[in-house]
Formats: sequence, C-alpha cells, structure tokens
Amino acid sequence: MSGFATLRSMRRQITPVRIGAAALIGITLTAAATASRAQSTEIGVYSGRHYNTDKQLYSQFTRQTGIKVKLLEAKDDALIERLRSEGKNSPADVLVLVDAARLDKASDMGLFQPARSAALLRDVPLSLRDAKGRWYGLTRRVRVVLVNPRLVSPASIKTYADLANPALKGKLCLRDRQSVYNQSLVADQMIQRGDAAAAAWVKKMTANVTKPYFTSDTPLIRAIGNGQCGVGLVNTYYLARMVSGESGAADKALASKLKVVFTNPAHVNISGAGVTRNAKNPAAALKLIEFLASPTGGKGYAEANHEYPLKGYGSNATLKAFGTFKASGISAEQMGAKNKAAVKLMETNGWK
Amino acid sequence: MVAAGASQPSAPPVQPAQEGRTALSLAVVVVVVLALAPVAWLVAFACSGPDGLSGLSLGSDGLQQLLNTVGLVTAVGGLGAALGAGSGWLTARCQFAGRRWLRIAQLLPLATPSYLLAATLIDVGSRLGQRVHGSLWTVVVLTLSTYSYVFLLSTESFSVSGRRQLEACRSLGVGPWGSFWRVALPMAMPSIGAGIALAGMEVVNELGAVELLGVPTLSAGILLRWQQQGNPHGAVALALVALVIVALLVAAERKLRERSRCWNLGNDSSELERWSLRGWRLVAAWMVTLLPPLLTLGLPVLWAALSWDQLQAEPIGELASLSGRSFALALAASGITVAAGLLLAMAKRWIPNQLIQQLSFLAGLGYAIPGTVIALALMLIGGPAGLAPMLLLIWGYTDRFLAVAKGGLDAAFERIPPSMDEAATSLGCSWMAVLRRIHLPLLRSPLVVGTLLVFVDTVKELPITFSLRPFDFDTLAVRVFQYASDERVGAALVPALLILILGLAASLALIPNLERIEVEPRS
Repeated sequence: MSGFATLRSMRRQITPVRIGAAALIGITLTAAATASRAQSTEIGVYSGRHYNTDKQLYSQFTRQTGIKVKLLEAKDDALIERLRSEGKNSPADVLVLVDAARLDKASDMGLFQPARSAALLRDVPLSLRDAKGRWYGLTRRVRVVLVNPRLVSPASIKTYADLANPALKGKLCLRDRQSVYNQSLVADQMIQRGDAAAAAWVKKMTANVTKPYFTSDTPLIRAIGNGQCGVGLVNTYYLARMVSGESGAADKALASKLKVVFTNPAHVNISGAGVTRNAKNPAAALKLIEFLASPTGGKGYAEANHEYPLKGYGSNATLKAFGTFKASGISAEQMGAKNKAAVKLMETNGWK
Repeated sequence: MVAAGASQPSAPPVQPAQEGRTALSLAVVVVVVLALAPVAWLVAFACSGPDGLSGLSLGSDGLQQLLNTVGLVTAVGGLGAALGAGSGWLTARCQFAGRRWLRIAQLLPLATPSYLLAATLIDVGSRLGQRVHGSLWTVVVLTLSTYSYVFLLSTESFSVSGRRQLEACRSLGVGPWGSFWRVALPMAMPSIGAGIALAGMEVVNELGAVELLGVPTLSAGILLRWQQQGNPHGAVALALVALVIVALLVAAERKLRERSRCWNLGNDSSELERWSLRGWRLVAAWMVTLLPPLLTLGLPVLWAALSWDQLQAEPIGELASLSGRSFALALAASGITVAAGLLLAMAKRWIPNQLIQQLSFLAGLGYAIPGTVIALALMLIGGPAGLAPMLLLIWGYTDRFLAVAKGGLDAAFERIPPSMDEAATSLGCSWMAVLRRIHLPLLRSPLVVGTLLVFVDTVKELPITFSLRPFDFDTLAVRVFQYASDERVGAALVPALLILILGLAASLALIPNLERIEVEPRS
C-alpha cells in the first residue's frame, strides 16, 4: 500500500516539471523546424506597424519575388532597443517604424545602413526620406483639425495657430503629450514658426483644453461627435475608419457629421523603413522597401489602412471625401531632430 | 538544472539528513542568480552612469508618479483584500445557491487582461458619452483584475485550516460573521497577506491600463524616461524606487505573517458543515461573489451589444495557432516556475544560511518590475550573447512570476509544523524524502493554485512576450493588445475571449483538486 502511495506521490512530484520540459522541448523543436526551412531567400522584418492588411501585402511580395518574409510586430521603441542589443546577431533585415522622430532616432543610433536605388529615389519624395538613404517614408498620415460644426465654425480655423484663439476656451480637446503624433506636430510648428512663437502657441492652446487629456484618438473623435468637445486634433485614419463604417453604424453616423479642416499647410507624419545595419540579406531587404514604396505597395500599405500614399491622395474613397491638403514641406528628418526639444517645450508650456 | 534538482525521485529512503543539501543549495543558487540577473544588471547599469548614483533622481514627474503608485497600491490593496477575503470565506465556508459556480467564477477577472478591461471600458464609455479616465476608474479596473490573487490564496486557507476552531465557534453559538472575524480571518492572515503582496506588485508593474486611463505611475515613468527621453539612468532610478515600494510591501507582509504564525495541517477533522446563508446575508453573499465576475464578463458583452456590427474574427486556423502558442508557453512557464518556486520555498526551510534565506526572498522581486523593464534587461543580456528568443521568453516569465508560485508555497509551508520534518529526519529521511513523502502531499493545493496562477498570468502576459518573441510567433495576448492599442476593440474581443477560455479551462481542470481537499480529509 505504501509502495503504491509512494508511486503516486512520485508521479505527482514529477508531473509539473515534466509537462513544462515537454512543452519547452516542443516549442524549441517548432522553432528549430521553422529555422531549418530557411533555404530559399528569406528576410526578417521588425515592424512597428500592425495591421492585418500589411500581412496581405507581405504575402503579395513573396508571391511576386519568391522572397519569404518573417515578421515580428511590436512597439517601435522596443524594436529599436532589441535591434540595438542584438547587434550583429540580429535576424532582422528591415526595420519598419511609425513616426518621423523614431526613424530619426534609429538612424542616429546607427541601426540602418545607407541604401539607394533608382526606384526609391523616384517613388519617395525628398522630404519623406533620409538624405543619406538610411530610411524611406512609406505612408503619410495627416494630423487634422476635426470640428463639430454645431459648436465651432469650421471657417474660423485656418491654421494650427487658430486653436490658440481664446474663443475656443473649453471647447478644445487634445491627446496628451505622450502621443508621438502631437510631439511631431509641435516639432513641425517649431521649425516653421520658431521656438518662441511655438511656445506661446502651445501655452495659449493648452489654456483652451477641456481636461482631462485623452489617451487615444477614437474616444476623442466620439467626444467631438457627441458635443463634449467642439474641436480637436486627430489623425485622419482613425476618423476614416469610423466614417467608412468599420467600427459600426453608430460611429459612422456620429463621425459623418464632423468636418475635417486641413490647415494650410498641413502637418504630415510618416511611417517608414530602412535596411538594418547588420542585415544578412540587404539586397532582398531593399527589394521589399522598394515594393512597399511603389504605387502597388502604397495601395496595400497606405490606402488599406486609410493612410495617404507617398504622392497624391490615393484612391481611398473616404479620404477623397475629406478633400485635399498642402503638406508643410518640413522633412521628416528635421522633425525627428527636433523631437526632444518639442517634448520639453510641451512640458514647460502646460501640455500634460 | 532546476528540474533535475526538484524531480530527483530515486533517493534512498534512509539517508542522513544533511546529505544532498549541497545539491539543494547549488540549485537554489542557480535559480537565484537567474532570477536576479536582470535586476542586478539594472543596478549595475545605473551605477555605471556618467555621474554614478548621484545622477539618480526622481525628477519633476517622478514625485507625481510615485504618489500615484503608492495611492493605487493602497486603494487596490485594501479593496482587493476585502473583496478577495470576503469571497474566499463565503465560497469556502458558507452554503448558498450557486456557491460552487461562483467559486469558479472568481477566476474570470483573473483571466481578463487589465489593458483589455481598460480599453473596453474607455470604448464603451466613449460610445455612451461618458469619460472613463483617472484614478477612480484605474482603482476599479485594477481591483477587478487583482482581487482574485487574494481570493485564491485565502480561500485555500479558509477551506483547509482551523476546522476544529470553527467547530468550537459553532458549538459555542458564534455565527458565521463572528467566526470569520475572530477565528478564520486571523488564521488566514498569512495567505491574505501573500495575496495582497501579489496584488500590490501587480499594481506596481501595471502599464497598459494606467497609460490608457491617464494615471502616470512609476512603471509608465520608467518606460517614458528610458525610451522616449533616452535617459536609461533616470529610468533605472525610478525602477529602484518601485523596488523599494515592493520590498516594503513584502516586509510588511512578512511581519504580519510572523504575528499570526500557527502550525496547522488542516486535515485534523472530518468535513465541516458550511453555514447556510439566508435573507440579507444571502443577498450580500451574492453581491460580493457575483458582481466582480459579472462586471468583467459583462463589459465585453455590453460592448458587443452596443456594436455587434463591428465584431470581427480571424480565420479559425489562425485563432487555433494563436491559442496553441499561448497554451504551450503557459504550460512551460508554469511548470518551470512552480518547480523553481518550490525549490526556493524548500531552501527557506532546509538551509539555515542567512544569505541563502535573503537571496531566496529577493528572487521573488522580479514580479514587481514592470515586464517591459525585465524585457529590456533580458534583451541587453541576451542580445549580445545571441540567446534564442524562446529561451529569453521563458526566462522572463519565470523571473516575473516566481513570486506568484512562491507566495502561496511559503504561506503553506508555514502551516506545516517543523516537528513533522524533525520527526522525519530523525527517522533518517533526507530532505528529498521529506519532500516526497510529507511536503508534496501536504502542499498539493498551493502547488495547484500556483500552477494555475502562473498559467493564467503567462497566457495574458504582454510586454515580455511582445518584445522578446521570435519571428511569426504571435500569441493571443499579443493579438489582443495589437488590436486594442490600435483602437480596434471589435477585433480584440475574440482572442480575448479565447484567453478567458484558456484560463477557465485551466481553472476547471484544477479546481476539482481544491474541492477534493475539502471533502476528502487525508488520514
């Protein structure tokens, strides 16, 4: 009897450990099997974008070129840190990041290698790429003023500076300082109007803000829609998603009543990519970037997510209905270089 | 190495007590070194800064972040303790309609990732024209997602300990309320304390929910300084402050435990009859046990009702492989972590060396460090060494959740009278034989609870999985977060539901174990 009990307790003792070990071996084998398949050309992509439509585009690239794409999507900053610590061991060939400042940061850290091709020089406008060819813009995102016409007259706003108008007190809603989109907007304004004017603008504008600050765009758009706010700053693709009915009929009805005001000039931010410094397959990596920057790629990368392509306004019907805009022409590189100063300026002038 | 140490079953039953302890010490040292490596790296890194330790300061935002963290820990700890111990007592020792189901339902909130809860709340709120923002909502979300720690650890203690004392209460005419306050609660203090400490650590390392709800805490500050402001030394300074808070929490818990130390095996009587609840007591019991799971489950349901036209799901095959990865990772992590936790808990009992004792205590602190920071530290250790991402992933999980596995075990070990070990060793049993023949059978329920907690925690774990996983290796939690952070709640709900199902399945598989302990007293 006691022998049986010992046996039973033995089994109990081993089980969790054994299960754990078995699972670990299983995972390792799966990973090893995945790795051993790497005979044909294969590139690793670290991406800060995470949209299902991106994946479809990568498959399209594989079908077209025979180059397989291994994908890791995570937060931009974490990817930058991972790539840096991996150094020469890194399996990544391409790094895709969202926001100009982050692209600039990654190239400052030496994570990209210069790469040039006629196709990229043709498809990517000068202001949307790095002068040394370390990264190239792939999509454009515009930070627009969104107005509820019942509360604020759309005609009263022509530039971002107009948001500092005291008449808007208690009607303006903004996302907090952590939003990289807001940081790059402030950097853009500092370059265009000088630091002092930008500081005065932020100070007056934040005095108009209805607190608390928002932490995401969609609730901000809804608050403008239901009249809690009269006006706010948002990226077009969040609004386009709602207007096109992707987030339900109620959102569609709410968002359709709102008016998009493209300030003149408009602040344009980008998502972009570069070949990593330690890429095992830089030629194939460049091919992927060329594909993504090409008009075909632009359709799948930008328009499917309601972003603007590198040139023109694309064929996305919802975006077309918003109208057209004139970009400020401030380069992504310039904005990136100004990022730290912009965050400091926001902090000292009351942008929470 | 850990596994080998813990699972060595072939030790001859008669052996001098001291033999084999060197192996135990060695195994403990390995576990401790692995667990402390990321923290140690952080500290070394902070000291190696351009101006050394003098450059470390809280800064202007740091004070606010510190106050927010302390406030949240206090509020969530208090509320969670009341809710967790309350539902733990009610479902263990009282009888009312639906008790068995409600007991299992307490695990629902645990299986719900707090960032999903926050994102869903904000989304539902903004659809109804209600701003969900700020400390009050954060307390609600974090209490919901952490009180189950207190529940699980305390209910286990309520159901096994103090039966004789409770019988005495009953025969002396003390009601359920009085017995709870005067007998059961003090006896369950070590477990409740362990639960509060876990919940508190969870609050300290919480990131997603506090960011979404706009309450900057230390963990948000750490990340901000490190990555956005490019000030890693400042970040480490904040991380050290967070560690101090947690060390205080754990020290307070130990103090509490010392005061109410009592050896109690819990198998000293036959099944104890439960108190039947009627009238307002019944209503109150239902409120306490039903409301939290209902809220966590009701929220996504409310969301779906408001916007069913937006619900999207991925192809079945994709969902299956996401679930498969989550399941395998969680299984591996829980097995290894519980084994390591058991090793440390045993070392506390067997190795009188002060240094080992302190180190094994410190090893659990990984739970308090934000997952993002552990991920960063592991990246910086593993990246240059070229360690496989999968290895780093498991390392990260074990480091993070060691305290979860260890907390319950420590509390349970304290209930086993040392006289038992002494009797066994005097009869010639080695520590391994004592483990096999005495401790493991007695520790079955905390082992089960620990495995379950680590499993569920790993399934919903985000920052480590997110930043350390290999190519093409998304899990359910990764997908949920990607959709939620992209403000697409509709697409996040199905993978979130699968997380819940995985957590519930694990609970259902393990709960019978807990129930059996109640009805089958061992002889």
